[in-house]
Amino acid sequence: MPMKGRYPIRRTLEYLQKGDIIFKTRVKIMTVNYNTHGELSEGARKFVFFNIPQIQYKNPWVQIMMFKNMTPSPFLKFYLDDGEQVLVDVEGKDYKLISQHVKKILGKSDEVLHAEAQAKMQASHPANFGPKKYCLRECICEVEGQVPCPSTTPLPKEMTGKYRAKMAETQD
Amino acid sequence: MFQVIGGRSVQAARLLAPRSAVLVEAVRGRKSRTDPVAKSKEGRIKVPSPVDPVEMVVLKERYSEYELIMRALRMEFREGVLRKKYEEEMGSQAEQRARQEEEEHRALMDWNNQENLRILKARVLRIQQEEEEAERKKMEAAIRREQEQQEFIRQKEEEILKLQDEAKNFVTLENLDQRIEEALDNPKNYNFAIDKEGKVVKRTAMQ
Repeated sequence: MPMKGRYPIRRTLEYLQKGDIIFKTRVKIMTVNYNTHGELSEGARKFVFFNIPQIQYKNPWVQIMMFKNMTPSPFLKFYLDDGEQVLVDVEGKDYKLISQHVKKILGKSDEVLHAEAQAKMQASHPANFGPKKYCLRECICEVEGQVPCPSTTPLPKEMTGKYRAKMAETQD
Repeated sequence: MFQVIGGRSVQAARLLAPRSAVLVEAVRGRKSRTDPVAKSKEGRIKVPSPVDPVEMVVLKERYSEYELIMRALRMEFREGVLRKKYEEEMGSQAEQRARQEEEEHRALMDWNNQENLRILKARVLRIQQEEEEAERKKMEAAIRREQEQQEFIRQKEEEILKLQDEAKNFVTLENLDQRIEEALDNPKNYNFAIDKEGKVVKRTAMQ
């Protein structure tokens, strides 16, 4: 069965790619302390349930840890690579508000993301042919509407080099 | 240009020295050391393809020049890329950018701290209120318990008084004889009927 869990939409690629929190490079570890019962932890619980998968999908190199029922009030803690720790108190907040807050303080801003996307586009020229790692296509036979690869279908006689050479020989 | 040729011709001269026609033992490639030589290749002597010395000299010079130029170009391009990378990471622009980012980061951290303080104040207030509530509830419970105790004592005292009253009519060893005499003298008739309102209606005669 494809549907697993309470909100299986959280497992779809579309949902994960919609996540908009991309951390700055200096954020290395994210820790969420929250409680499983209680009205004040409700926002944190929803944040963990809905937004953490998106965040982890967009930041695969950030370690995210969840701690349950260790402290009376919920909070988030970020560990940056210069040893700085950022504490975010989320008691009584709504999960959308928490997500906006986190994006504001430690997320890459839209301009930065745009600039990075532009740089990546500039580095790769779409008209180049080469290995799949660096270019979109390896050979013109991969493009729709062009002559198919002779490894799959043999070329018509008139296009082969040996026939043309023979014709040229017999003519001259 | 001439110095280059001078350098190249030394290597070219080494080529013109005599070489043996027979090569060393064959490289087996696909076959293992125990496989016999193929029947069609039994008497074969492999001879290298003939080399035209003049052509070889010219080719060698040209190739060496070409490789020199290519190597120089590659190094130039590599140096350009490295310089760009260096500029990117440590140039003046980078310092400025780093400082700006640092400032922005500090501003954001300050804003975050403000938010934390705000929530802290709200939390302290809430905890205070909860404590007061708890105190009040405790006081109320104590008062109620006191009251219940008082009620209990009062009820018990009432019962004691009632019992004391009734004790006056008890039969003891001293007035046993007297009470027996009284009972015998006053016979009581318990046979009576009552109607629906509860009034006594009929009394049967004493036997």
